[in-house]
Amino acid sequence: MAEVLSRRCVIMRLADFSYDKYQKALRQSAGAVVIILPKNMSAMPQDIVQQFMELEPEMLATETIVPVYFAEEDNELLSIYTQTLTSSSSQGSLSAAEVLLHTATANGFQMVTSGAQSKAISDWAITSLEVRHTETGRDRKACSDVCKPWLSYGADSNGSGVSMLLELARLFSKLYTYKRTHAAYNLLFFVSGGGKFNYQGTKRWLEDNLDHTDSSLLQDNVAFVLCLDTLGNGDSLYLHVSKPPKEGTPQYSLLKELETVVASQHPEVKFSMVHKKINLAEDMLAWEHERFGIRRLPAFTLSHLPSHRSAQRSSIMDVRSVSPSSRHGSFRSQTLVPFFLSFPSSLCPSLHVDVFVSFLHSILPYYPCFVPIPPFNSSFLSFLFHSCLLAFQPFLPCPVLVPFSVFFCPLFTLLKNISAFSRDPEFVFYDQLKQTMNAYRVKPAIFDLLLAFCIAAYLGMMYLAIQNFGLLYSVVRRITLPKAKVH
Amino acid sequence: MTLFHFGNCFALAYFPYFITYKCSGLSEYNAFWRCVQAGATYLFVQLCKMLFLATFFPTWEGGAGVYDFVGEFMKSTVDLADLLGLHLVMSRNAGKGEYKIMVAAMGWATAELVMSRFLPLWVGARGIEFDWKYIQMSFDSNISLVHYIAMAAVVWMFTRYDLPKSFRLPVTVLLALCVYKAFLIELFVHIFMLGSWTVLLVKAVLTGAISLCSLFLFVTLVHSN
Repeated sequence: MAEVLSRRCVIMRLADFSYDKYQKALRQSAGAVVIILPKNMSAMPQDIVQQFMELEPEMLATETIVPVYFAEEDNELLSIYTQTLTSSSSQGSLSAAEVLLHTATANGFQMVTSGAQSKAISDWAITSLEVRHTETGRDRKACSDVCKPWLSYGADSNGSGVSMLLELARLFSKLYTYKRTHAAYNLLFFVSGGGKFNYQGTKRWLEDNLDHTDSSLLQDNVAFVLCLDTLGNGDSLYLHVSKPPKEGTPQYSLLKELETVVASQHPEVKFSMVHKKINLAEDMLAWEHERFGIRRLPAFTLSHLPSHRSAQRSSIMDVRSVSPSSRHGSFRSQTLVPFFLSFPSSLCPSLHVDVFVSFLHSILPYYPCFVPIPPFNSSFLSFLFHSCLLAFQPFLPCPVLVPFSVFFCPLFTLLKNISAFSRDPEFVFYDQLKQTMNAYRVKPAIFDLLLAFCIAAYLGMMYLAIQNFGLLYSVVRRITLPKAKVH
Repeated sequence: MTLFHFGNCFALAYFPYFITYKCSGLSEYNAFWRCVQAGATYLFVQLCKMLFLATFFPTWEGGAGVYDFVGEFMKSTVDLADLLGLHLVMSRNAGKGEYKIMVAAMGWATAELVMSRFLPLWVGARGIEFDWKYIQMSFDSNISLVHYIAMAAVVWMFTRYDLPKSFRLPVTVLLALCVYKAFLIELFVHIFMLGSWTVLLVKAVLTGAISLCSLFLFVTLVHSN
């Protein structure tokens, strides 16, 4: 790498990425840094992925005026990279004349971006979605929330949560259409936005429903709130709580239910409860259930990550791998559904739990959880994938929303768009997240001189040829008319 | 890629014309305005050809990769109008055979150069991106100059009343070659998938062959009296 990097663009591939090189580029005020991400992240060796995930928070924390771009790899970008690599690395081993010729004729690239300077966005909105399964004709106020993956980037964190939630919503809708399979609980499904930014969507929704309205939705008798976070991979399952549930509460029953199902039907899964007190002094809340805990609603989070500090929660490496496990989804529905239906059995003897359980087991194979349900789930997930790293895409594009609502039409009783105020902003968002960079193939200036020299030589030859055209003429004449010579 | 590059291409394209004009003795005959008239005739002929093509030839509806041989052949036949135009120019100029040929060819080729190559060079060669095609375009203009001189000579020979019978056939063949040269080059490119520099070489060789043959015939004709 040359020593002076100003007005030069540094291109790095993820495979060759090292923090030292990155720091060096920033220190020497490079014109820009482009990091090329591979198209197929799962093909990368895991140690490189891990290393990058660990470096990400440090990179995010570094303040610099050098623009850093992330680009997805494709053939042309790769060819630009290899050409630049060969031209910059071959300078040491050739003779002076070759080096000169090489410099004169090499293919350089000029990178031009068309964006403007980033400005802070003053007003932004978060989109969250809510769907309720209510009982009709019953007066039960007991309500439990199954909640809340957040809309942003990340296949596992939290695309897995979203897909699991939607699958559960779909299953429960099927069950709730018939009175016989109706549980004694109302269910509220909530997909919140702004999760990675300290759970803004949840905060706003809670403010709306607890402080600003008169509805008794959340104010009485919430059995519990279950948050789904990062459930895609892994063999272990953790239930994160802010305080351990007491005996006799619905939370305790769920905990026991989960433990028994895991022990009996999925012995390879390690299940445990992780207790972490809410620490209000920290900048960012650890898990989503803490938001609810602050408002005195009993909540816990189900995740395969043991700690909230795990790097996998906020990394660009978090993309969908080829074969997601379907195990967790079926496991989840196997515990949750019987749990909700087991309550009615104690309260309403007319419902036959055994019939329901077997009915469930018979329909579950036809509804495999967490296997993407085309076209809905894949389009939703692909929408999630295409968000940028630091971006938060607040608006669901309309075409995605249409299949969503069409699919869920029988389920939805309510769909709300919740926008966040900017009166108390904890985060400032900047625009210019997606820019187009054009690469022009250029030749160095000395090449022009070389070309001019060659052209001048060629023109000189032409001039001589035309001046001496008469010579050619007489030669042809002599060839074609030998009779004249004889005479 | 820069103004300098444009200057390079411009010099490569225009200088041979300039040199030819100066060294062929045309300047002594005050032939400048006659060349301009020949250029105007070129414009008129091209306009007529375009109108004819637009009216009578439908757009090709086939697939993208298939080359329409028959259609392109018919379109090349319309280039016979070029021959008529050259003949028109030459018949209006009084003088020796060589003079007529040179005036017609120079005017025609210069008009073609200005019309079809100046704008691409101006717009493209001055841009950021470097491409070899501008240099190739300039070389191509040199080749066209030779081609038009040969074509004018062949047309002149064709219209001579004292053309010997044995010359009729070669002259007609050369004439046909001149008209269909572009078509043949495209055919070669399509069949053999030639690169751009190879195409240039093939064009140069073909034009050289045609011009050499026409030179032979011309010398024989002029000096056989």
